[in-house]
Amino acid sequence: MMNIFRWWWGILLMFLFLGVLRIFLPLPFMNEILIFSIYTMGCNFLLGRVGFISFGQPAYLAVGAYGTAFYLYYFGTNPYIGILLGILAGLVVSAAIGPLFVRLRSDYFALVNLALAVIVFYLMEKVLAGITHGDNGLWFLTRMSNTPVLNLGNHSDFFIFVFILAMALWAFYKYLDDSIYGACCLATKINEDKLKFLGYDSFNIRWQAFIIANTTTALAGALYAVYFGFVSPDFTSPSRAADPVVVTILGGVGTLYGPIVGAIAYTGMKDLISGYIANWELVIGLLLVIIMLAGEKGIWGTLEPLLAKIIFRKRTVSGFSTNGDKNL
Amino acid sequence: MTNDDLLVVTDLNVSYGESKVLFDINLNVKPNQVVACVGRNGAGKTTLLRSIAGFLKPASGAISVNNTSLVGMMSFDVAKMGIKYIPQDKKVFSDLTVRENLELGSYATKDYNWEPVTDYFPKLKELMDRKAGYLSGGERQMLMIGRALLGNPKVLLIDEPTEGLAPSIVTHMQNVFRELSKRSAIVIVEQNLPLVCAIAHKVYAIKEGRVVSEITEADRIKANVCEQYL
Repeated sequence: MMNIFRWWWGILLMFLFLGVLRIFLPLPFMNEILIFSIYTMGCNFLLGRVGFISFGQPAYLAVGAYGTAFYLYYFGTNPYIGILLGILAGLVVSAAIGPLFVRLRSDYFALVNLALAVIVFYLMEKVLAGITHGDNGLWFLTRMSNTPVLNLGNHSDFFIFVFILAMALWAFYKYLDDSIYGACCLATKINEDKLKFLGYDSFNIRWQAFIIANTTTALAGALYAVYFGFVSPDFTSPSRAADPVVVTILGGVGTLYGPIVGAIAYTGMKDLISGYIANWELVIGLLLVIIMLAGEKGIWGTLEPLLAKIIFRKRTVSGFSTNGDKNL
Repeated sequence: MTNDDLLVVTDLNVSYGESKVLFDINLNVKPNQVVACVGRNGAGKTTLLRSIAGFLKPASGAISVNNTSLVGMMSFDVAKMGIKYIPQDKKVFSDLTVRENLELGSYATKDYNWEPVTDYFPKLKELMDRKAGYLSGGERQMLMIGRALLGNPKVLLIDEPTEGLAPSIVTHMQNVFRELSKRSAIVIVEQNLPLVCAIAHKVYAIKEGRVVSEITEADRIKANVCEQYL
């Protein structure tokens, strides 16, 4: 029992914090943070664990969003099924194009993904306008049926659903971090040749990571679709390609909770500062420069070791074993 | 070449683009034999090891282990066959702990018995939870060799293992290599001639990409004989 608690306690603490934040912050803001955290998590895994920077996350977001939207607009009304189909769409697309993309070096990888975001944008806006309705988008809010237990059409219930889903997702990524596969991903980033000399197929490792990360992004797209009841090509606008990368760096690249902290900071500043300054992006940009100069660890990357020091020092004084586990 | 040879390299030619680096290399290694390759910097010793390890595709020639051809195999498939390459650069997975580095070796080979590793390198037991990036040069070399031992490799390809190490650690490595040869064949590239003379059963001298001498007699493996090829 204690082992399970020790494994989960960081996740429980973070989500308890989010639960407490809900008391003080508006529901739409919290829903936005949760979904945006999930969106960023995929980028964080690719960049932090595998060393791939991707400016194409809007493409996979759109795949998930439109996968869900097509079902809810044309075929059915159950949002749960819509979300599943959005995830499946993301999985299939990333599995199909992954073998081509993951062969590339990090800089070319970034560019080819950006190209994909542009391609998907124009596909949705122009080429497939007959089914996507182009800029007018697909509206299906009133088509969605009420669902048992948690009615996803209700924003409070939706928050609970995404809260539980996000917790499960963070547990999954924590498991990945602690697993051999997570170590392989990090080893691929550090020194791919050395990993091959040990007998690992680094191509497969990168491909699997690509699928995991972009399926996570597609999940975020599916959630946005159900939350807003509307999807348009704006989801995959190339102008927003840097958003998840910015939030990843802001939160702390490769850290487990960086996406959550980054999403809170980014969304908070966007909402707060935009009330006073039209060009709120200027403040975000300045903040990023400061973070880079201060050591590139991001907000959570800087906070985590300090918190760990405080918590483990206190636990040592009170006689609890630290088990050598210094990571939250 | 004889029937009991474990690793056989025949007429190997390797190029980097248009630039030919190895010319008709022939090399044989028997089980539990220590074969040393000596030569000047740029002679092609590392290129030879990397070719055997599957990292470089030969322009022509044959490389086989137990009569199975390695040419055209991916480097991770060569490693799975029990041919482990330990590069010269002493770079480990710095963000992983010593334990995690060894676990990577274990998972790939399904060998979770670390006793031989810690028997050869007791220091690693104390360093299990330390991030590999914080190890000294000697400790990294121990970790790299220890990790390569997992899975009972048939052949260890070791590239300049004692470069930059303190004399006491070099002596320890010498004893380790002697013991290791009871388990695996070793092909070692070294410029430390006393070490070569102490452990090698056979020496290949490589000059400008060619084998210029093969010394098989134990009484001829001496520093002054090998030195002429450096």
